[in-house]
Amino acid sequence: MIFKPVRELAALVSARKLSPVELAEHFLERLERLGPRYNAAVTVLRQHALIQARRAEGEIAAGRYRGPLHGIPYGAKDLLATAGTPTTWGAAPYKAQHFDFDATVVAKLQDAGAVLVAKLAMTELAGGMGYRQPTASFTGPCINPWNGNAWSGGSSSGSGAAVSAGLVPFAIGSETWGSILSPAGYCGLAGLRPTYGRVSRHGAMAICWSLDKLGSLAQTADDCGLVLDAIAGADPKDPTASERPYRYEALDRTGFRFGILPGVTDGCEEAVVENFTRSLGVLKKIGTVEDVTLPDLPYEQITRTILQVEAVSAFEDLIESGGIAGLTAPEDRYTPYAREAILAKDYLKAVRLRAVMAREIDRVLQHFDALVAPGRINEAPVLGQEFRSALRSTEKDVMGAKDVMGAIGNGAGLPAVCVPNGSGVRGLPTSIQFMGRAWEENTVLAAARAYQSLTDWHTRHPKVD
Amino acid sequence: MSEAANPEGEADALFEIVRVRYGDRLTPAQLDELRRIVAAQLAAARALRAVPLTNADEPMQPFVPYRAEEPLTPLSPQRGEGGQR
Repeated sequence: MIFKPVRELAALVSARKLSPVELAEHFLERLERLGPRYNAAVTVLRQHALIQARRAEGEIAAGRYRGPLHGIPYGAKDLLATAGTPTTWGAAPYKAQHFDFDATVVAKLQDAGAVLVAKLAMTELAGGMGYRQPTASFTGPCINPWNGNAWSGGSSSGSGAAVSAGLVPFAIGSETWGSILSPAGYCGLAGLRPTYGRVSRHGAMAICWSLDKLGSLAQTADDCGLVLDAIAGADPKDPTASERPYRYEALDRTGFRFGILPGVTDGCEEAVVENFTRSLGVLKKIGTVEDVTLPDLPYEQITRTILQVEAVSAFEDLIESGGIAGLTAPEDRYTPYAREAILAKDYLKAVRLRAVMAREIDRVLQHFDALVAPGRINEAPVLGQEFRSALRSTEKDVMGAKDVMGAIGNGAGLPAVCVPNGSGVRGLPTSIQFMGRAWEENTVLAAARAYQSLTDWHTRHPKVD
Repeated sequence: MSEAANPEGEADALFEIVRVRYGDRLTPAQLDELRRIVAAQLAAARALRAVPLTNADEPMQPFVPYRAEEPLTPLSPQRGEGGQR
């Protein structure tokens, strides 16, 4: 039961071979026993979860089955408001914060019958202050279930650790730049970053209003589709939530056209390059793989400038008051002050160039189902090791940028899914990402599912118990 | 003024904004790091400035005139109305 995909658990639940209450008890016990080992959970919601699970069990017994998430436990990144429980944003200054309403995503999952069992740990303020170390959370660094001396990724750190360790079947995370694909990739999971606007952000902490997106981490790409089906859609409480209809369609297909941007393996660890090369061989069994080109634009600078400025504006109160001194990571306590010196004209230039970037990438993607690249450039960093942050503005990072896919994908609001594709020299997972045109979640999920149908990396799990 | 006129002077001036506003909260080592970050931000800005745009290239973000009775015009979609801090 521990690592079964949601689709398999759902089949057992709908057939009444598996009790939602038993399922909730099972994962609650794991969260309480194993969660502290990984710093994965901020709050375990035992009482709340059992009430929801009993309700689900009663409804299913009465023949009112709501769908594949009915009775399935899940965890939510602790930047999603939940009435009656703390919502800490991973940050000490907010550790006693409460909201009196549920985020729309939480409400939608409740409507689908899913059972919220835990609020999951995260990098403080979702990394918006420019952190560069795993310890940047008031609950401590999230430990990677594959290796006790490695980080689980961020900023949806607990979402990655909890699903990977089999503490929840799926989790909700958020991505502004890399915060779903990073923990999913480092923890050997599927992670789906939907198109900007596909999922309402009402009740989610804001880092960057024009970049923030909510998505899922799960054992398979198929599971991510099932979750998206439940959480997508318009919301009168979020004007950016699109009214475009979405239904997940798990139709098998081949004949994909994959593209590769130049330089996507630059700076990658050797094993990441080897695994990606092998993955391309797999993709050639289900489609074609072609090199593509883009015009020379400062992609990383565009997205980074937008992120830096919007993040310090979103947390102006905390920064101006000096409250950032209460954050955990030393660099988060003062480096945001530097963004005071980004000129409004330069920010607006980035926002104007964003339109050029979006047009150019769409021009390319019109001819492809997905662009593919390594999900991460490396295995998960060791604990205590500084790493490059998308927000960290040193000369080296600005000039030696290595995440063009992340910059373009997030800057243009495009969907991407990553799935495991091998392991590195330390035995930690590596990953491949598929990025598609806006609103083409079903296409990238179909590609990822087709890849997973030909590989078994998603069936391998860390030794936890 | 051309971009190449006095790049170091521009970095110094921008850093001075940070120092004047927040210097009393910062150690000398932190100020040194902020100076480096400001220089990197300026390098990024120069990369942006180097790309020509036309008068017709608008910022890619929506503005919607507000009326209270319209459904899609909340004040704070993410933190949410009624939330407490």
